[in-house]
Amino acid sequence: MNILYGMLFIIALGSVYVLGYYFNHKTPKPKGCENMTAACEGCHVTSCDNNPQNEYKEKENV
Amino acid sequence: MMELFALALSAVLINNVVLSKFLGLCPFLGVSKSSKNAIGMGLAVIFVIFGASLITYALYHLVLVPAEIEYMQLITFILVIATFVQFIEMFIKKYSPALYKSLGIYLPLITTNCVVLYVAQDNITQNYDLIETIVNSIAVPAGFMLVLYLFSCLRERLDSADTPKAWKGNPIALVVAALMALAFSAFAGIV
Amino acid sequence: MWNNFKNGFIKENPVFGLYLGMCSSLAISTSLNNAIGMGACVTLVLIASNVIVSAIRKITPDEIRIPVYIVVIASLVTVVEMVVHAFMPELYTSLGVFLGLIVVNCIILGRAEAFASKNGIVASAVDGLGMGLGYTFALLLISITREFLSTAGLHFYNPFNSEQLLFGFTIEALEPYTISLFSASVGAFLTFACFAAIFAILRNRSSKKEAK
Repeated sequence: MNILYGMLFIIALGSVYVLGYYFNHKTPKPKGCENMTAACEGCHVTSCDNNPQNEYKEKENV
Repeated sequence: MMELFALALSAVLINNVVLSKFLGLCPFLGVSKSSKNAIGMGLAVIFVIFGASLITYALYHLVLVPAEIEYMQLITFILVIATFVQFIEMFIKKYSPALYKSLGIYLPLITTNCVVLYVAQDNITQNYDLIETIVNSIAVPAGFMLVLYLFSCLRERLDSADTPKAWKGNPIALVVAALMALAFSAFAGIV
Repeated sequence: MWNNFKNGFIKENPVFGLYLGMCSSLAISTSLNNAIGMGACVTLVLIASNVIVSAIRKITPDEIRIPVYIVVIASLVTVVEMVVHAFMPELYTSLGVFLGLIVVNCIILGRAEAFASKNGIVASAVDGLGMGLGYTFALLLISITREFLSTAGLHFYNPFNSEQLLFGFTIEALEPYTISLFSASVGAFLTFACFAAIFAILRNRSSKKEAK
């Protein structure tokens, strides 16, 4: 029974996250901020808008 | 009151999250190119950690413990943090372009920032009560911001220094971090 | 495929080349034991997450792929954490919070994004193994240096039974000259910086060769 609750809870949280992510990425950036980035080179997660090596990494993996 | 002050002081200076716990190093090296960036990132981290810690603390004690599913802690916390960041970003985009300019652009970097998950888990494993949780989740990211800002000031000068080619960029920055860690280890005696 | 595998070690070493997973590699590299345990956990999670992400890459809607990856990775880490807790309690306590923090280790999300979401299952598994071993290799370098300089010896215990010493030695002649600094955080940063510089030299050399 416990496991069932756990699964339900995680599924609920997961769907809230997915919804939040989806709507957040549909919301346009405010005026004047369209091309602003933090120029962060910390991690190499290429989906992050701030990654300056975005294009470089894409080329490398083709 | 005194204990809370000691807790805050030790989180900011003695057990500094970057220099003695080695967390949040990715943004530490990534966003510290300019001190303006460092302040924006630091404030965004304080805000997110404070909010996310309160939510995870409440969820742990109000949902996970009564339902006896404490082992779901990790996955719950990371989902809460990621969701929280998404909603905050959306909210700021919609209602406050000015705030988005100064803080919002750093928000996407925070989901994978280990400090957030660390503080959320630390509050549970240390058995903090609500007040201690609040103090801890402000003091830890404040320590992060302090070190990030100091480091970015050093780094602005480092970029114009003439370092050997192999040490350029991150390696020499890490040596600077090592020296900062040495300096901060001197705080160990004050509490 | 072999090249992909080999790249993970020197040229594109995830730790010294790309500066991924630095937090954990600095924090738990105080002893050889921790390094091997952490390396094994990360490699396992990396292979499993790469395989799963690659298997579902055609049915994952593009807009929400990051949330899907995070859920997959978090579940895998939870499983690994439980297994380690049950069978290797010593390792569990010494890795502490860093075991759970594998979730936010950029290597795993980065590889899922950059490689597994575009390639087949076998290639992704090999990539995961290569990157995982590259990470372990980096951990080994740092931890061997740090443990040797701070204790004048190296010790590796059986992870399932912490009493049993599998491999270890101490050079007694060097014992009076140990540098305890290297077990503290300063030593971690310094060791890391030195290796990062060495790897930068190696990378420069190999790219010069290719240019010729």
